[in-house]
Amino acid sequence: MKTPLSYWLSLPVAAAVLAPLAVLAWLGLQAELAFDAGNAAIVINSVLLTMLTVLGAILLGVPLALATTYIRLPGRPLWLALLAAPLAIPSYLGAFAYFAAFGPGGTLENLTGVNTPNLRGLAGATLVMTLYTYPFVLLTTRSALRHLNPAMLDAARTLGLSPGRALLSVVLPRARNGIAAGALLVALYTLSDFGTPAILRLDTFTRMIFVEYNAFGLDRAALLSLQLLALVAVILWLETRFGAERERPTRTATLDLGAGWRAATMTAGLLLMLAALALPLLVFGDYFWREGVGDFDPILAWHSAYAAGLAAIVAVVVALPVAYAAGLGRRGRLLERIAHLGFGVPGIVLATALVYVGLQLSVLYQTLALLVIGYVLRFLPLAVGSLRTRLERIEHHQIAAARSLGAAPFEAFRRITLPLALPGIVAGAALVFLEAMRELPATLLLQPTGFETLATYLWRVYEAGYLGRGAVPALLLVLISVGALVALLTGEERAGEARGA
Amino acid sequence: MDRRTLLKAALALGLGGTAARLLAADDPAVSVDALAALSGKLTVYLGHGEGGLYTDIVGAIRERNPALDLSLRRAPSSALATTLVAEAGAGGPRADLFWSVDAASLAVVNGAGMGRRVPDDIRGQIRPEFRYDRWAALSGRIRSLPYNTGRLSPADLPGQIMDLPDSDLRVGWAPSYAAFQTFIAAMRLLEGEARTRRWLEAMKSKAQSYAGELGVVLATARGEVDVGLANHYYTLRLKSGDPDASVALAFTRDDAGCLVNAAGTALLSGRALPADFTRYLLTREVQSFLAEQAYEIPLVAGVAPPAGLPSMDTIQPPELDLARLSELKPALALLRDTGVL
Repeated sequence: MKTPLSYWLSLPVAAAVLAPLAVLAWLGLQAELAFDAGNAAIVINSVLLTMLTVLGAILLGVPLALATTYIRLPGRPLWLALLAAPLAIPSYLGAFAYFAAFGPGGTLENLTGVNTPNLRGLAGATLVMTLYTYPFVLLTTRSALRHLNPAMLDAARTLGLSPGRALLSVVLPRARNGIAAGALLVALYTLSDFGTPAILRLDTFTRMIFVEYNAFGLDRAALLSLQLLALVAVILWLETRFGAERERPTRTATLDLGAGWRAATMTAGLLLMLAALALPLLVFGDYFWREGVGDFDPILAWHSAYAAGLAAIVAVVVALPVAYAAGLGRRGRLLERIAHLGFGVPGIVLATALVYVGLQLSVLYQTLALLVIGYVLRFLPLAVGSLRTRLERIEHHQIAAARSLGAAPFEAFRRITLPLALPGIVAGAALVFLEAMRELPATLLLQPTGFETLATYLWRVYEAGYLGRGAVPALLLVLISVGALVALLTGEERAGEARGA
Repeated sequence: MDRRTLLKAALALGLGGTAARLLAADDPAVSVDALAALSGKLTVYLGHGEGGLYTDIVGAIRERNPALDLSLRRAPSSALATTLVAEAGAGGPRADLFWSVDAASLAVVNGAGMGRRVPDDIRGQIRPEFRYDRWAALSGRIRSLPYNTGRLSPADLPGQIMDLPDSDLRVGWAPSYAAFQTFIAAMRLLEGEARTRRWLEAMKSKAQSYAGELGVVLATARGEVDVGLANHYYTLRLKSGDPDASVALAFTRDDAGCLVNAAGTALLSGRALPADFTRYLLTREVQSFLAEQAYEIPLVAGVAPPAGLPSMDTIQPPELDLARLSELKPALALLRDTGVL
């Protein structure tokens, strides 16, 4: 059988995704292999932060998923959107806000006169990471609950189990895989996150890779990167073991849990919104009120948008053959899996490898092209994902009909596949654009000289200790994040309608 | 008048220089008016940490020289030194000029053989004790012990930095800040590896870490810690904005604790432009701005030191050639080993 063109086009993409890993392995091999106490502390800190964040996210996410599935809350869609919103805000904005709000001289003390303790280290990082990752668990658990067959729950209730007991013994065990899927996403996100441990000063892998990178330790940074990738691989492996087993529900189960639960859910939801959304807005708003626009240069917003826009275009162009190949057979799916790896490679790790690549290939060094390549490698899976969901729905006989009517393969692609895939292309490009605009660690390492972005400016403001100057970029980043959320939700809604759900 | 308007006016009119020259005929400081306009492409790596003051200088120079196509890369000085060393190993530095706030980073870059010889007329403008062959010192900063005036009097402070761990004072420091790392490098050179390691280990239990030295000084003024380790100008800047702040400057004697460090530039390409840019930084206007607004010590003779700084003869800095600070790597290894960084 002739190898389809899309395979040939996908191969270099897969190779490009694997190249940084090879570079790191090579660099790491040159480092003096000394697993000392400092290294052990980094492992312990990273694992502790990840485990505590996963625990926190489950404790928040699962009850909220139960409540939003089974309790008739007034304005339920709005509640859901609000409770999912922290996911759209990059956690480094939260970390910045908590860093500025708490402690002596912080925003809270300035506004209320109440002394608050510093929120730093493991406790602070766990709090912030939990606040911005619990929606993963909320969403995956909710989706699992909605796919449960209500017959068993009804049977349990008829046989005399109280609603609480029925939840614990009938519902939760069957939602286990959904909870686990969310927990693993939280773990992956926490291990990869740079901004939060860096700002709240917890020596995790990501923070220390940056420290080493900046202190003549490129080889040690590579070594730490490899260790971090090993942890990520464990998470990804666990993920493959929790496949979703789907029941085929005829309707969604309901459970009358009484007014007490409703009040408790709404109170908890409100508190969460205060902590995750209102507090950062308060901090940035307060700085903005006191310092105004300052000497903020709007070109930063343009830089962010320009680089992210290029990344979005390149990502969908590259994603098309990969997504197409994935629908053709086993080898295609393998190529897609490889392209998916980028999402597991933390931004700081990817950037460390690309800086080294740039030093060897000096045409790329400190160029916008290398930054865009970094974004594309990292966020390609988003584009491939949205494209695949569209492409999967294209009936193959439509293409076959076009071919039998005399269209060449490319013409069939251009006139059938491409128009049908267009919504997926737009959605994928939008996702990549918004993620790239907010990306911090890879941008810090790969930004071309003179090409400051909103995220790198905010980081610089933190480093210099002049937090007030961060108000405008932080507020802009929040706005962009809200845009991302709206785009995601409306996109999902439309996809839902199309599926006839 | 805010600092930006002041500087703009000064640079635009060259007034400060002219007026001063009328008063002091033998003044070696050059006015910005005496310099030719800059033009062409210039890439500068700027080690920051000064919260926009250096950006203001760059902005004023840009405004005055519309034909100058200047790109800036900003990161901590030590990070940029790392970048430059890596670049030198792969085809040569990508910047024309390295403007560092810290002499150790300049020494590192010169240790890799990157800095070009500084032209004699530039060296001649700089105070004799700060003249180096391969970098131009621009402004001085002194390591200091800012202390909380509500809790302590100067007599409560140790006279020697090595005695600080034996006190029961709560200390604030910023280990990731380049100037702190340089201070440790100086301590290692003056006191030896073993004593420095013991000092770090003893200090670690009583020190509170901050992201930058402005944070250290603010925490000292609030009483969160009794005493801090910081460059002198943070305290002076805080006092100028808030004269009632409970913080004052103290200095140790003849040790790394009162090291005089310097910001400066290394010329990385053989073109005339980086040297000409450095000439702008040594003008009376920029030097006065650094003294008046940044509270740094001007290194061109004839420009007045910042207000609030004790006279230089009361300070006894250690004898240490700043070029030896290129031995930054072992100091960083010490900071890492002891878990301070």
